[in-house]
Amino acid sequence: MARELMYREALREAIDEEMARDPMVFIIGEGIAERGGSYKVTEGLLAKYGPKRVRDTPIAEAGMIGVGVGAAIAGARPIVEILYVDFTMLGMDMIVNQAAKFRLMTGGEGRVPFVLRTQGGAGGGVAAQHSQSLEALFYHIPGLKVVMPSTPADAKGLLKHALRQMDPVIFIEHKHLYMTKGMVPDGEHVVDFGVADIKRAGKDVTIIAWSNMVPRALEAAEELAAQGIDCEVLDPRSLVPLDKAAILASVAKTKRVVIVQEAVRRGGVASDIASIIQEEAFYELDAPIQIVAGLNVPIPFNLALEKASVPQKEDVLAAVRRCLHLEPKA
Amino acid sequence: MADAILVPQVGQDLTEAKIVALNVKLGDTVAKGDIVAEVESEKATFEVEAFVAGIVISLPYGVGDLAPVLEPLMHLGQAGETIGAAASAPVPAPAASSVPGDLPQAESHPPSAVPAVATGTGRSSPLARRVAVQNGLQLDRIAGTGPRGAVVMRDVAAALQAQPAATSAPFALRSGTGLKSLQAGTGTPVVFLHGFGAELAAWLPLVARIAVQNPMIGVDLAGHGAAAARAVAGFDALVDDMAQRLGEAGISSAHLVGHSLGAAVAVALADRGDLDIRSMTLIAPAGLGPSINGDFVAGFVGAKTEGALRVWMQNLVHTPERLGEAMVRAAFAARTGSATPGALDALARSLFEGNTQLFSIKPALQRLACTCRMIFGAQDAIFKPSDADGLPGMIGVHRLAGVGHLPQVEATALVGRLIAETVRSVA
Repeated sequence: MARELMYREALREAIDEEMARDPMVFIIGEGIAERGGSYKVTEGLLAKYGPKRVRDTPIAEAGMIGVGVGAAIAGARPIVEILYVDFTMLGMDMIVNQAAKFRLMTGGEGRVPFVLRTQGGAGGGVAAQHSQSLEALFYHIPGLKVVMPSTPADAKGLLKHALRQMDPVIFIEHKHLYMTKGMVPDGEHVVDFGVADIKRAGKDVTIIAWSNMVPRALEAAEELAAQGIDCEVLDPRSLVPLDKAAILASVAKTKRVVIVQEAVRRGGVASDIASIIQEEAFYELDAPIQIVAGLNVPIPFNLALEKASVPQKEDVLAAVRRCLHLEPKA
Repeated sequence: MADAILVPQVGQDLTEAKIVALNVKLGDTVAKGDIVAEVESEKATFEVEAFVAGIVISLPYGVGDLAPVLEPLMHLGQAGETIGAAASAPVPAPAASSVPGDLPQAESHPPSAVPAVATGTGRSSPLARRVAVQNGLQLDRIAGTGPRGAVVMRDVAAALQAQPAATSAPFALRSGTGLKSLQAGTGTPVVFLHGFGAELAAWLPLVARIAVQNPMIGVDLAGHGAAAARAVAGFDALVDDMAQRLGEAGISSAHLVGHSLGAAVAVALADRGDLDIRSMTLIAPAGLGPSINGDFVAGFVGAKTEGALRVWMQNLVHTPERLGEAMVRAAFAARTGSATPGALDALARSLFEGNTQLFSIKPALQRLACTCRMIFGAQDAIFKPSDADGLPGMIGVHRLAGVGHLPQVEATALVGRLIAETVRSVA
């Protein structure tokens, strides 16, 4: 059985269940205790688990992340909520030089089961410092796991798995997804990292998308279905580890790939996935791999310009038609 | 003095032509008569010929560009020579040296003579290339409908579909002739010649492993299978009979695959020269050395029960388990209720005497012109392993360890692959 939950409720269930299961799990962040979090993910947890395990912090991201990494090394299971992924930049030394390296530099003896929950993406005119998609920065650093759920079920299952494994996890939610609804299985629901999910099966084109680009890709796929084009939408769910086998299997089936990322095009994860596909499935490809990505610009404040800066459904439609060697419009 | 090669007038009232191929680049030396480019109007392409020799000193267009007709497409000149403004911006005034009479006017290809847009540029998707090669299609014969004329999968698929229709029913495989289609296809047929005491159906498990698009045809040797009634004596008569039946079926060109006695027949057929043999893949060929396991021949021919036949047939493989019960049963069934036992016995006596093969293909191999590959089992108990030594250098030799006289049974996938590679290598 399953229930319909909002993305934020599914995340709350994951934290709640894992806090109940494991006394070492605690959560800190700005406004997460008394206010229940800016996106209401942690609502009710203070009353249930008390101020020692659900703790408000000052606006001091570097300090918060340092506390989290240190606590994880000492054996706890911290969740640090950073309100915008943009602000994780303040804690990059702790993330990149400490958390990501510790396991290797201690010969595997030291582990850092640190979960950084944050959110990114454009939407609502919150401008250049609150709209970025920065997954590529973390994707680039060996030693970090990078997870970007697109549905309530995945959000819950992946966060629960994050709290049970032993490596630092950058868990990036999307500000547009918190209010979206979806069915979440009852009972224990854990989703392993490195297992992609086919959100829609199809035979003509593989659309690889993650986070908020998944619903956008699905919308495009529905519209294309009306034109007789059958798209498969593959959500890797975790970018590190990446489910290469699922990607290659889908490409072998459809022979054409569109990769959609909200992040800017330059130096993005989409480029890396494309390089993997061309290297390992070159002779399966019937068209150049299409990347639909954000423009190489800071996200503008103006709503129309913001929209123009990140991929829209129309961009996905056009890319799919390009890789089928069709005219731009149906 | 630079000479201009003009864009041909490709249609009555067309003012520009699309450049679909450029066979030269700046600095290339061009001989008179070379085809330097292809331009396209609607669905016809026209080759542009160089009417003088020279070095390409200006080339203002790229593939896919539209160029005004009767304007310079490129200039030919001497090394170090440059052309002024005309190089970068073709202007309406024709270069002084270009004489209208020299125009390679439309090359007089009627549009119907060019049924497909020859891309000429090799533009194609990796998938289209792979599938085309696997199916023996030539990409430059396929009209590309992808970006800028690239051949993409749908074009290859269309070509594959169109092909069988164009060459349907090419061979007269009438029943009773001992010729049978093992797999339909297009192109030059692959003809399979089985070994002594077998029949064409024995090839079926192997055929499924041969990734080529060509038709595959099995032939029963005289005295075998559906050709059991064709009584012949001696190796030459066996070959004559085969040549006659292939000719009657309209097979004038073929890739041959032969096993044992069938392989020797294949070599003799090639030596006769009346059949255009494109390639040969010979498995454990007979006729290389004088020796044969005479006990096997006598026991195999004389076996009266399935059990006795099984005992003798185990000599054919290195690992007895690989000799399927079905194979033994099929071999036994084939010789009951037909003329085969008598025909086999008579044929055996005309080919072998005790431990001696009465024929040799070695002289014919010395004269062999076509691509040829031989596959031997290192543990062959019928012929001597040394048969594989001292063959002419142009013959590719594969010796398979742990395999007996039936490599196609004991190493089916590999043998299938080797046959496919041989066929494709001369496609």
